[in-house]
Amino acid sequence: MTNANDPLRIEYAEGPSGLRIARQSPPPGAVTFSATYVGPAGWAYDAPNQEGIARLTTHLLTSGAGARDRIALARFLDRAGGTLTAQCDPESADVTVWGPSSSAPALLGVLADAVQRPRFEASDLARVRRQMFERQLRELAQPGSRANRELHLTIFPRHHPYRTTGMGDHRSVGRLRSTDLSRFHARHFTGDGGLLVVTTATSARSLVRMVRRLFADLPSAPPPPLTLPKAAGGPPKDVTIDLPGHRQVEVRIGGSSIARSDPSYPAAYLADEVLGGATLLSRLFTRVRSKGGLAYHASSHLEAMRYGGYWVAQAGTGTERWRRVVPMLRQEVARIAGESIPSSELDLVRESRLGEVALALESTSDAHELALDVAYYGLAEDHWVTWPSVLRSLSPAEVRRAAEVALDRRRSATVVVGPVGGA
Amino acid sequence: MESFRLANGLRVLLAPLEGSPTASVWVWYQVGSKNEHPGITGASHWVEHMLFEGSPRYGKGAIDRAVIQVGGELNAFTDTDFTAYFSTVPRDHLSIPLDIESDRMTRALLTDREVERERTVIHSEREGNENWPEFRVEEETYQLAFRVHPYRWDALGRREDIEHLTPTELRAYYQKFYGTRNALLVVAGGFDPRSTAAEIRRRFSKLPPSGADVTVGHPEPPARGERRAELSGPGTTPYLQMAWRSPALHDRATPATMIIDTVLGGESRMFSAGPGWGRAAEHPSARLCRALVDTGLAVRATSEWRPRVYPGLFTIQTQAARGVPLDRLEDGIEAVVDRLAEKGPTSLEMRDARTRIRRGAALAYEGASRTGFRLGYFAVLGSPAYEDRLFSQLLAVRAEEVRDRARELFRSDSRVVVRYEPTGGGADD
Repeated sequence: MTNANDPLRIEYAEGPSGLRIARQSPPPGAVTFSATYVGPAGWAYDAPNQEGIARLTTHLLTSGAGARDRIALARFLDRAGGTLTAQCDPESADVTVWGPSSSAPALLGVLADAVQRPRFEASDLARVRRQMFERQLRELAQPGSRANRELHLTIFPRHHPYRTTGMGDHRSVGRLRSTDLSRFHARHFTGDGGLLVVTTATSARSLVRMVRRLFADLPSAPPPPLTLPKAAGGPPKDVTIDLPGHRQVEVRIGGSSIARSDPSYPAAYLADEVLGGATLLSRLFTRVRSKGGLAYHASSHLEAMRYGGYWVAQAGTGTERWRRVVPMLRQEVARIAGESIPSSELDLVRESRLGEVALALESTSDAHELALDVAYYGLAEDHWVTWPSVLRSLSPAEVRRAAEVALDRRRSATVVVGPVGGA
Repeated sequence: MESFRLANGLRVLLAPLEGSPTASVWVWYQVGSKNEHPGITGASHWVEHMLFEGSPRYGKGAIDRAVIQVGGELNAFTDTDFTAYFSTVPRDHLSIPLDIESDRMTRALLTDREVERERTVIHSEREGNENWPEFRVEEETYQLAFRVHPYRWDALGRREDIEHLTPTELRAYYQKFYGTRNALLVVAGGFDPRSTAAEIRRRFSKLPPSGADVTVGHPEPPARGERRAELSGPGTTPYLQMAWRSPALHDRATPATMIIDTVLGGESRMFSAGPGWGRAAEHPSARLCRALVDTGLAVRATSEWRPRVYPGLFTIQTQAARGVPLDRLEDGIEAVVDRLAEKGPTSLEMRDARTRIRRGAALAYEGASRTGFRLGYFAVLGSPAYEDRLFSQLLAVRAEEVRDRARELFRSDSRVVVRYEPTGGGADD
């Protein structure tokens, strides 16, 4: 193994029951450790009439496991100095433990318990269910979350997992029992099909030994691969929803997009960054906020996942300004795919994004995100080492061509939600 | 860590981190919404925006470009008591943020045209916040609790002041307060302290001494009774927030108040642990969570004591579970605070609180950006050594002191209660 201490290089190994292990060294000077289990347990696997089960199950993994109930687990984490969090996405669910390097073995044990031996106690289920009911309602009532929801409903066909946020409805979540959750858990938090990413100074050999011991109870059989319904042929419909009483109107323009494995992903990533990515120099930010003074936030985002993706250009603005902002977003989306990007603009955005990788090495938790990305998408061990040369090799023409497909305005929808009156 | 002060009053803290690939530059001004008055509320926040919009060597957009093109990141934020600007860059580019900060510390342009353009952006930022019931409740709470002191308004400013504040007024505010005497420069990360100190002296020593006194001269008189407000607005969840007058950061009651925050809400902001800055959403062992969330009265319940230069508020924030009347939730909160005031924390709670504080202190300094933030935060509110002193005091607090402090804190005559009843919206589609 070469450069084993370089946090930009990932080492892969085989764990119990087919579990894939990815190890990353912590950044220089780091005093913390982080580990994440990722399982094929996203809401794409929700069964009919059980919508919400993936989210509910994932959330409850942090509410007591093994010999520790929720309170005992919280106190144990306090003493070890760690945190335990869980997150559910369309395709996968993940559980992350973080804390001081000195507590790494104990914290990895907590993660192993959470993944393999959750308690799903009735009182915890009742509490999390109440919280989920509230989130279901809030998703409908808040302009921002409602706009996101409506965009996904309009661009993805029925039964497509990217169409929802996986929270189900009052009826589907209300009927779920602990036994349902246990069954879902056994089928989806598996070794084969699962992934463990660990950012630690512990050697790969010692880590594998520890993981084999701690995760020995993982079932091996993974759920079948996902097959997602194809998007409908015609362009999606535009949507406008009046939510009176609010102060700001949320605008979304977006459509379905490419998967992370698509060869054009690096070019599409750059196109999105030029359009409205993280930098304050993006076209949307510059035109809508810096020059136009029309909105506080204006940005874009390309979400490329394992099985597909989506893109969105967005802004939040006042009731008297949204009609000016919508055409601005549309024009910029059209321009990114219709005109060649000046080299100077592309170079600036490219270098800023490469710098982001260097800044991620400030802390274990940030560096861990890099490793998770590599491991989840099955990228090469040296992905982040070669990433600069990949991005620097892309021409403006390649970036424009990628935008035509990945940020395709012809198959996009416009969603406007907020106090729009009779618009 | 190395610290020194220039002849013009600028305080400097240097925290070299061996092996760090980045350098983080923070400028903290002891200027915040506490220095505003009705008519110019929101001025500090507006100045924060304008300091990205042009100075002699950096025209509009040039600051962003200079930092971003070397792969750095930058931003700023405004609080009641301070405003902070930061840039984190690969360590070889440390000169860039130092040059920017020396250029805009006293010479930002704030042209009429750019101030006017930013007005709608500021409106939009406020409107985005107003979309959230939590913001409305929080703003109402402070407006009710304070009648004289500038903590009465949010750092974003009042809507009518954002509408009417003039470029001339904004420039006058900037020229009055933003200067070397009220600034603290913190540099953390991979750099050579000797050459960096020399560079700082070279760039900043030529700035004239400036910055008017930022002391607030109008203390809030004692409250003489409970204050209540009933709000309604769009949404689906009822909110209930209760607040009590609480001590300033340097009050001797602060350590016990922070333990109360930890016992009730799970952690205290200045020593919260986690990979990011901020509080965890839920602490299962905290009293409010156990008494209100676990029992089905609320879907969220937490407490917050924010460190302030002047006496502020201790708040309890809750969202009712579906079908639970706010009266019942209010009774539940009262029972929790009454019990703490009557019996104090248990020995197990005291042990848990100390454990969390130790954890928060131990893990807070990973990376140049976090180090720059934390050093500057304590220094701008107190002194660089204040964190160590507070940490020791926190570990020494006894359960009886916490009980006595709770009795003093949770007095009904200084209580503020704000309820938010949702009018619906969206859920019926």
